[in-house]
Amino acid sequence: MSRQSPEEYFKDLSEAVVEMDEDLAVSLSKAALEDGVDAYEAIENGLSHGMARAGQLFEEEEYFIPELLMCSDAMYAGLDVLKPHLKKTTESRGTVVIGVIEGDTHDIGKNMVRIMFETGGFNVIDLGRDVPPQRFVDTARDSKADIIALSTLMTTTMDGMGTVVKLLIDANLRDGVKVMVGGGPISPGFAKRIGADGYAVNAAEAVKIARELVGTA
Amino acid sequence: MSIVEMKPLERFAAYAKGESIDRLPCVPIVGNTSARVVGAKVSQFRGNGLLIAEAQIASYKKFGYDVIRVFTDLYTLAEAMGATVHYPEDETAYLAFPAIKSVDEISELNPVEPLKDGNLPCHLEAMKRVIEAVGMEVPVTGAVTCPFTTASFLIGAENLVRLTIKNQSAVHQLCEVALESALRYSAAIIAVGCTPSLTDPMSSSTVIGPRQFKEFSYPYLKRLIDFIHVHGKAVTLHICGKTEKIWQLMADAGADCISIDNDASLQGAVENVGSRVRIMGNVHPSDIMLQGTPEDVRLAVQSCVAQAGHNHKGYIVASGCSLPTETPFTNIQAMMDAVREIGWPPRIVQAVERHL
Repeated sequence: MSRQSPEEYFKDLSEAVVEMDEDLAVSLSKAALEDGVDAYEAIENGLSHGMARAGQLFEEEEYFIPELLMCSDAMYAGLDVLKPHLKKTTESRGTVVIGVIEGDTHDIGKNMVRIMFETGGFNVIDLGRDVPPQRFVDTARDSKADIIALSTLMTTTMDGMGTVVKLLIDANLRDGVKVMVGGGPISPGFAKRIGADGYAVNAAEAVKIARELVGTA
Repeated sequence: MSIVEMKPLERFAAYAKGESIDRLPCVPIVGNTSARVVGAKVSQFRGNGLLIAEAQIASYKKFGYDVIRVFTDLYTLAEAMGATVHYPEDETAYLAFPAIKSVDEISELNPVEPLKDGNLPCHLEAMKRVIEAVGMEVPVTGAVTCPFTTASFLIGAENLVRLTIKNQSAVHQLCEVALESALRYSAAIIAVGCTPSLTDPMSSSTVIGPRQFKEFSYPYLKRLIDFIHVHGKAVTLHICGKTEKIWQLMADAGADCISIDNDASLQGAVENVGSRVRIMGNVHPSDIMLQGTPEDVRLAVQSCVAQAGHNHKGYIVASGCSLPTETPFTNIQAMMDAVREIGWPPRIVQAVERHL
């Protein structure tokens, strides 16, 4: 591969993510390192940039969940190559504890949101699916999290979201932790009723709302 | 003004002929909520066709809605093909593990034998009993999960959506075996005198794009609907979430009625596809039916009728999706009352801008 400028690498990496090309993302990441491109910049201006574009395409309904998942596969593949070469610890926008509420095992939506959070510079602790309300609160306390993000696709488990808010209050943690909710049956009205701080209709919007909530928009 | 309350089958027949009816058809989609009507726990429905039938009949008699739909959860076909379903004591069942982990195992999947496998025999028994009890006056349907959605339960949703890009022939193989199961189950449903009612949530544009729908959902829906049509039954196709970009394809697949949820615009559907299919929907199942007041329900019904009551191919007032189990009876009653109040021809007195 001929020598490229860092800017060309950024552009190609971004394109590899948008085009869902995992192999290309890996080979470009390796080539960029060999050509002395800074790993942090390759991630920030290349891979993350591509993932943000993919998120934009998702919002515009050009891409759907299959494409977004494949883009994230390409992004993570490149990330695996670049991460060991990071010189400085990158500054996180904040810590998010995320999970699907107890009684529900649908996690595609949650995984999308996690990917967009990670791409958007958040440190994410993923508790997985079928998570009891108390575990969100315990994890948020132990990790000094800024945000708890809750997902459910089922109406039967919506109430668990309200329980998390109550448990946060009981634990005197409510002031320091913002609560975001989302998922099929959830509406802005429901979010408000249970005292959540934010509602997002999809993964791309979730990151924007999170940035607003922690004041790093 | 009002004529004697018609029976649902009479009402549908007259409505289809353009004759005068007493009110619009109305279907609050009652599934596991029926357990509450007979004081049962949801898990008691498992393997108990008699109880499902008793609950569905009691619920129909209590509220007097226009279609009985025998349904407990989406996983009956996938379970009968090897998926593991978790049954909480008193909530709707959910998928614990898909039937297979990788594409290498697809060849091990077999289509269902409806009279033998999983909970299918009990659902068929329930349908048969409901038909015997009230089938002479109300349409009775049995829920059939469509091929693409069943495929997602067979190999896992995330796996399946990746495969739509990575390995299209694997997706077709999965849909093919899921279709064969759906065809056999539909045949068994028709054999007990019931009508298959199709549901395909994973085909929603909230999950896959219209291109993928056309490639992986449409051909199998079409074959399934063609089969049901051959047996002289009309088909209702429900897809949750966003559906605007696939309404025409849903009609092309042969659906006679499309059921849409609150993420889709009823008015948009009327304008886009209302000359081709009957439309049903879309009172919000959780915001309005579960958590709203009876007055919220009334206003939401008025808003729906204002948008779709004049639809060329007809309109059924309905919840956007199956009702949450704990939906208050008062709200189901309020939905029926609101439709009676609107009457025929549909007449809305109160301003409803708030909900439009």
